[in-house]
Amino acid sequence: MSTTTDVRRHRGGSTIAWSLVGPTLLLLIAFNVFPLIYNIALSFTNRELVGEDSRFVGTTNYTRVFSDPLFAGALRRTALFVVCAVGAELMLGFALALALVREFRLKRAVLAVVLVPMMLSPAVMGLYWALILNGNYGVVNQILGSIGLPQPQWLTDRDLKFWSIVVVDVWMWTPFMALIALAGLSAIPPHLYEAAEIDRASRWRVFMRITLPMTAPLLGLAVLLRATDALKQFDLVMATAGPNDAATQTLSTLLYQTVFRDGKIGLGAAFACVVLVLVIALATVFTRYLDHLRRARET
Amino acid sequence: MNPGHLCSTLLLTASLALLSGACSKEAPPPASGAAQTPQSITVWWFQWAPADGLQELGREFQKETGIEVKVEQIPLGSYQEKVFLEFGAARTRFDVLIGDSQWIGRGATKKLYVELTDWLPTVVDLKTIHPRAAKYLCEYPEGSGKWFAAPCETDAVGLAYRKDWFEDPAEKQAFQAKYGRALEVPKSWEDFQQVAEFFQRPDTKRYGCSLPSDRSYDGLTMGVQNLLWAFGGRWHAEKSNKVVGELDTPGSVAGIEFYKKLLKLGPNGAERMDYGQVLESFTNGSTAMILNYFAFFPGIQKQYGDKVGFAVVPAHDGKRVASLGGQGMSISTRIPPAQQELSKRFIAWFMQRKVQEQWITKPAGFTANADILKSAAFRAQTPYNGPFAESVDSMQDFWNVPVFNELLTVTQRYVGMAVDGEMPTAEALKQLAIEKERILKDAGLL
Amino acid sequence: MRAVRWLVIVAGLLFAALPLVWMGLSSIKHRGDTISQHLRWMPAMEAPADPASSSFEATSDSYRDLATVHAGAQHSFWHHLWNSVVIGVLSTIASVALGTLCAYGFSRFRVPGEKDWLFFILSTRFMPPLAVVVPVLMMYRALDLQGTHLGLALLYTVFNLSLAVWLMKGFLDEIPRAYEEAAVVDGYSRFGAFIRIVLPEARTGIAVTAVFCLISAWNEYGFAMTLNSSGAVTVPAYFAGLQGNIEGMPWPQIAAGALIFVTPIVVFTVLVRSHLLRGVTFGTVKQ
Repeated sequence: MSTTTDVRRHRGGSTIAWSLVGPTLLLLIAFNVFPLIYNIALSFTNRELVGEDSRFVGTTNYTRVFSDPLFAGALRRTALFVVCAVGAELMLGFALALALVREFRLKRAVLAVVLVPMMLSPAVMGLYWALILNGNYGVVNQILGSIGLPQPQWLTDRDLKFWSIVVVDVWMWTPFMALIALAGLSAIPPHLYEAAEIDRASRWRVFMRITLPMTAPLLGLAVLLRATDALKQFDLVMATAGPNDAATQTLSTLLYQTVFRDGKIGLGAAFACVVLVLVIALATVFTRYLDHLRRARET
Repeated sequence: MNPGHLCSTLLLTASLALLSGACSKEAPPPASGAAQTPQSITVWWFQWAPADGLQELGREFQKETGIEVKVEQIPLGSYQEKVFLEFGAARTRFDVLIGDSQWIGRGATKKLYVELTDWLPTVVDLKTIHPRAAKYLCEYPEGSGKWFAAPCETDAVGLAYRKDWFEDPAEKQAFQAKYGRALEVPKSWEDFQQVAEFFQRPDTKRYGCSLPSDRSYDGLTMGVQNLLWAFGGRWHAEKSNKVVGELDTPGSVAGIEFYKKLLKLGPNGAERMDYGQVLESFTNGSTAMILNYFAFFPGIQKQYGDKVGFAVVPAHDGKRVASLGGQGMSISTRIPPAQQELSKRFIAWFMQRKVQEQWITKPAGFTANADILKSAAFRAQTPYNGPFAESVDSMQDFWNVPVFNELLTVTQRYVGMAVDGEMPTAEALKQLAIEKERILKDAGLL
Repeated sequence: MRAVRWLVIVAGLLFAALPLVWMGLSSIKHRGDTISQHLRWMPAMEAPADPASSSFEATSDSYRDLATVHAGAQHSFWHHLWNSVVIGVLSTIASVALGTLCAYGFSRFRVPGEKDWLFFILSTRFMPPLAVVVPVLMMYRALDLQGTHLGLALLYTVFNLSLAVWLMKGFLDEIPRAYEEAAVVDGYSRFGAFIRIVLPEARTGIAVTAVFCLISAWNEYGFAMTLNSSGAVTVPAYFAGLQGNIEGMPWPQIAAGALIFVTPIVVFTVLVRSHLLRGVTFGTVKQ
């Protein structure tokens, strides 16, 4: 990691400055702040996807949101998804990074292959995973069957399908964790390990005292990035289970069902507003953490 | 200002702007999109064989009138969303919509479909339309005499089975030995269960039956209701939308419980199969019997020839009800009057007896014309026409009120929980009934 | 320990690669072989006689079928791929251009409230598409942008701006100011110095930023399926739309199409491999 070169700033020239950053800021405000406001306005109406007649209904939609078992369920499920998927990705990714940190022949090639899944389209790959995990003719069950093992119904068993989606997510995003963990591991100065060797510290101790603390800030960043992403989980659920399956419905798919299937825009907007408050809270934590990291690096 | 403050400031700004946002008027709808080339109409339907047949008929129409007919096929999984997103625009991309029977309530009450009550009788004798097709595919409210569609595809759930397996002497003998009766096409659900159990041999990758059981749209509901009705249950009261005390009855519970048992007699994943997957389990040669819409059967027939047979759905205590499928043709209100006139010309042409007779020669071109359905010639034309014509007389539909989608969602959810064993069936139906009444009350239908 | 290390590496490799290998195999099958009850993994020149065989007849039909337009449907796979390319390229150019200018502004000038603006820009990345899609839909209806290349490209541009600004700012900060100052002394205008000196110096950064913008536009699904459900449909929305296809899923074509669809991404991933880390962390981590 390099430190940012401290560049002196042009003084004055604020017209130029604003004309450089202005267009971007305006676009972002138009597409983010405006929808936010519009959403809030819509959430107090009974607007529907078709038909023009809508009226002010007060806080009815919000009462519904907070009493709706579907919303509570989706919230709980999304939280579980974030914790489990990101947790598994962190552990597996860290293990992979530990294995990959030392130099070996073909390391670059191996790294390239291992990293590919995170760059692919979740919607397309999710669809394809639905074929791989199909209970009837999916390759996973064919292999299990041919060696005489039971064939679980990955995508249909109500206790399993949620976890199958977690597995696909882990497939996609473990490389992400590995990539960041690898950067953290590579940045540990070798002299620390040498010192530990002189002290005859046990492997476990070295790991707990040197490896983990030295990589922790970066891992924290990775976890936050992934968590905000996993919170939006939509593509994989749509591809494997559809928006309306009680066992797998996340916040995003519930929103989709409400707005595009049931046509309830007002209610959907209320859902969205509550979700946005959560997201903004998380984003605040994230940006603060980033700020903290940056300051730590500068000192 | 730190990022936290920024966020809260954003929220504050947002809530302040709420008033102006809520009071501001919607921008006027944009001028209608690119003008259609004159003399052509666009029909939307989902992607399946009957739509190909309709396109062929469209070419006949073009020969006669010079008006081009474009049938666009959209995969079923996203059909509904696409259609209703279109209706949100100022002008729909389609002129004629072949919409699912259950949408008619929304189409009629939200003024998306052109009302045809006065016009349709001028081009077709309504008495020739099978009363059940009229009731479920065309009218809203059911049986009100207000028409919002002309029948296009009449469809019902039927039974397809592997005739070659049923006629295999070894199988027949084994069945006789095991159950003390001859192996034949099941007439009752109890027979069906026995035959399915007989053919269920996971070791040799042979399975008893596949039934629609998908949770993402309407599969499970369309499958389960065949039994729900046969076992004496119902979704709502005969003459009203009352649900509590109507749905949560022993008949409904028995029907769903029986369905649950049948789902165990299928291939892996039988607990959640959409129509396509049910079909796949049959076309990959692993399953003895499937329940599916008649409209798929021409494809099966083409693949298997005389190795396959077709029948009406089984009965329970002599009561047989087939789940209705099929779609009516509606005209979008969001198109210029000239296009509406062209669309009417096409529908009028399509409803003629001679065109309906052509329609039935297309794969799964299932007419609603009662006379044709009754005719011996129609019944003898294919192996599935006979059972189909018979099913039309006993078909029933789920709800078609404007909030049908929400009713479907809760139905899929609670019936799903019952079938998956997450909740006792009686309890699930009790809660479902309460949920449904809440939805109906919210919509002012109860 | 060595053994464990290699075990982890091999497991990681297989886990990452096998699904893609299977995709390749599926793409050269007949549809019947993709939904067969038997494991079919050995391509062969001829269809095996034994139905329980583990080999299958290899065919390129699925690739050819990508070009056929289903009777009555409007477009083939290639048309949707073209939509993805148009939307992806348009939005990439726009977000890199805007992002570079904006990053240059933040990097070289004093902008009041700079840090807050930068964090505001970053926070826009966290918006779940489904939570803002309704207002956007209403807006697009009013502007007649629904189902157009331009509409989705504009949306992706906005969506990628946060990434572009943050990445480019990191790269631009690394270019010593002295270069520009020297150029200005040589008689260049400030704009001239930006074009002649800064941009060439930042070309790696621009390329890396472009690749990341392209990938995220290429893969996006939530907005694509809701806003462009029937016009200018991109590949992810097209494939996902085949779900619930009443005659079953055309798996070989999906596998073939998906393979073609992900190939450019795999190539780009390899090209920018030394900058991957920077890309996925919004430029906050550099190697």
